Amino acid sequence: MKFRAKIIDVGCLNHFTRVVNTVSRLTKACVLRLTCDHLYFVLSGRVATGGVSMWCELSQVNFFDEFQLEGVSADANEIFLEVAPENLSRALKTAQNAKSVKIKLTKKNCPCLTLAAELPSLSSVSRVVTHDIPVDVIPRRLWHDFREPQMPDFDVSIYLPPLKTMKSVVDRMKNLSNYLVLEANLNGEMNLKIETELVSVTTHFKELGNPPWGDDGSQSSSPTHRDPDLMAEARVDIKKLQQFLTGQQVNPSRAMCNIVHRRILHLIFLHEDVSLQYFIPAVM
Amino acid sequence: MKCVIEGNGVKVFGKAVHALSRIGDEIWLDPQEKGLALRTVNSSQSAYACFCFTPLFFQQYIPDPDIQNGCEAVKCKLNMKCVLPLFRCASWRERRVDRCEISINIPNSRVIFQFHCRHGITKTYNLGYQECEALQAVFPAHLCPNVLMAQSKLLGDIVVHFPVSQEEVTLSMSSFKVTFKTFCEEENNCIKGMNTELMLYPDEFDYFQVGEDSAVTFCLKELRGLLSFAESYSLPVSSQFGVAGQPISFTVKDMALEAHVVLSTLTDPNHESPSRPAPGDDCPVNIPKTSTAEISTCEGPMETEVCVADGEQVASSQGSEVFNPALHMRKMIQLHAPGEIPSLVPESALTTPVTPATFKIRSLLFGAVYSDGGNDKTVDLPSLACASDTEEDGGTEEDLGNNVS
Repeated sequence: MKFRAKIIDVGCLNHFTRVVNTVSRLTKACVLRLTCDHLYFVLSGRVATGGVSMWCELSQVNFFDEFQLEGVSADANEIFLEVAPENLSRALKTAQNAKSVKIKLTKKNCPCLTLAAELPSLSSVSRVVTHDIPVDVIPRRLWHDFREPQMPDFDVSIYLPPLKTMKSVVDRMKNLSNYLVLEANLNGEMNLKIETELVSVTTHFKELGNPPWGDDGSQSSSPTHRDPDLMAEARVDIKKLQQFLTGQQVNPSRAMCNIVHRRILHLIFLHEDVSLQYFIPAVM
Repeated sequence: MKCVIEGNGVKVFGKAVHALSRIGDEIWLDPQEKGLALRTVNSSQSAYACFCFTPLFFQQYIPDPDIQNGCEAVKCKLNMKCVLPLFRCASWRERRVDRCEISINIPNSRVIFQFHCRHGITKTYNLGYQECEALQAVFPAHLCPNVLMAQSKLLGDIVVHFPVSQEEVTLSMSSFKVTFKTFCEEENNCIKGMNTELMLYPDEFDYFQVGEDSAVTFCLKELRGLLSFAESYSLPVSSQFGVAGQPISFTVKDMALEAHVVLSTLTDPNHESPSRPAPGDDCPVNIPKTSTAEISTCEGPMETEVCVADGEQVASSQGSEVFNPALHMRKMIQLHAPGEIPSLVPESALTTPVTPATFKIRSLLFGAVYSDGGNDKTVDLPSLACASDTEEDGGTEEDLGNNVS
């Protein structure tokens, strides 16, 4: 197994760092899947994570100047590593003005991702800072746990309101309740609701627009049109939603969510070269 | 003691207090002829810092106003938590404070900080002090084989790569390069955390002297205070050290002040095993991997002899491995007859066969054995590790030497 990659462009480096920072705010540990064309940061929904799962996909060619991969075997030309994204984030943090950053898979006392940043220095030779980030190689038999999640059979898909607004609403609601209901319909209307014994608060958003997935805007197998005013809702742990919104460092070009009524909230953020999907299970 | 600091100096003084607060919980004040020294030591006695402000720093400096009454300037210590808030909001102080007067009121046991601010406002703080002997550490920096001097920005650029929580780093030096790297206690532990390493070349330093290839491991956290002080004033920082186990010192110098931080370094575990005193000895010896404590503080005028009484533990060292200074002091005497100096000068280090035992124990007392320390310019770190009443370098040694079998 071999992996070497290099970033030369400062803009690419900054962008990559921001993506890694976002991922590091969402989870303490995740799986980094490397293929010849893509990098994926994967968190598979487990009880330990409260059922939350994440799939972040980067197109390698938009970030790296050099990218060489030799996977586990010829027919499985991929590498799966378990890594703490915070380590990666920390290593990248002080390398923002580097001339180049090289990442490679090495074996020190244990398998590591070694990040070597070449920094400008006073002497004739550049200063090289090396960070060894310990990783765990995930054996092939466990790869199926980290497959790309299927797009759920959602009931409503809608574009999100401006993130900043949504975040400030959710932040304030978090002070009042542990659970939030997000409901939306095919008329571009979304409500964020909390309800406790003492108080209930609802914030209404209108004219958000619905992504045109199919003819009828929903993927339900039945061909009949869904009543556009009918709300699909999901009641979720507000902390998880807040964590997702807070962590965003990259302003997405598209932000939308799919709701499977009372089952799952599926948030999708798209950027030119990065896509981030986050699944929050609904609670009763 | 009475001194007056004008406006800008108050900010510098405040930053010095901040730097000291990164290390210890108490500030020792020591007004001397040559300046006012502020010192501190950390709870495990493995880090010591001293900021000495020369009379040039002050608008007015009177170390002992009652000289006709035979009063000596009092030496005392203050709780850091009391002093730090006075200098907390640096930018605010800088704009508003015209001058600061510090005086010691002996009858009431108070140190008085009086800030004269704009608009005629005067803020007076009376802080109770505890009288004690001066905290003093001895470190013959001029005898260290390895010396580095660099601009503070360079060092700042280096430490930024290490996480703030990272305690220990290893500094390795050879003729070709200097390496800073995260310290791992055991090979296996490296699996848990990230390891960072970076290399520097001799031409990046203002001064580069390598007397002996070495790798010293010290606590980076305690150095950050001095580094940020130096960076605020763009002062170069020089560092003197020897081999593993010997303390490493960092110095910042200016016309008006001199600051030192001395940190203990881990002893080389490879040298440890053959030389450690057997467990049967009357002292539960510290385990090899921990930093050894090199400074003893003597408190209170009651201590008349060297404060290494058997069984006494300085309260602040309870958190660390047990260190019985007495045992090591006795061993020190056994190894070196009074007057004999285990030389740390470069050429001797290379040619003199030094046993590991000597090595480790020498490091413990910071070179307190040297007897001719008074003759040279670096007497900025005065006198003995264990302050005695006599303040004589040779005095205490000879006393103890007489007891050697």
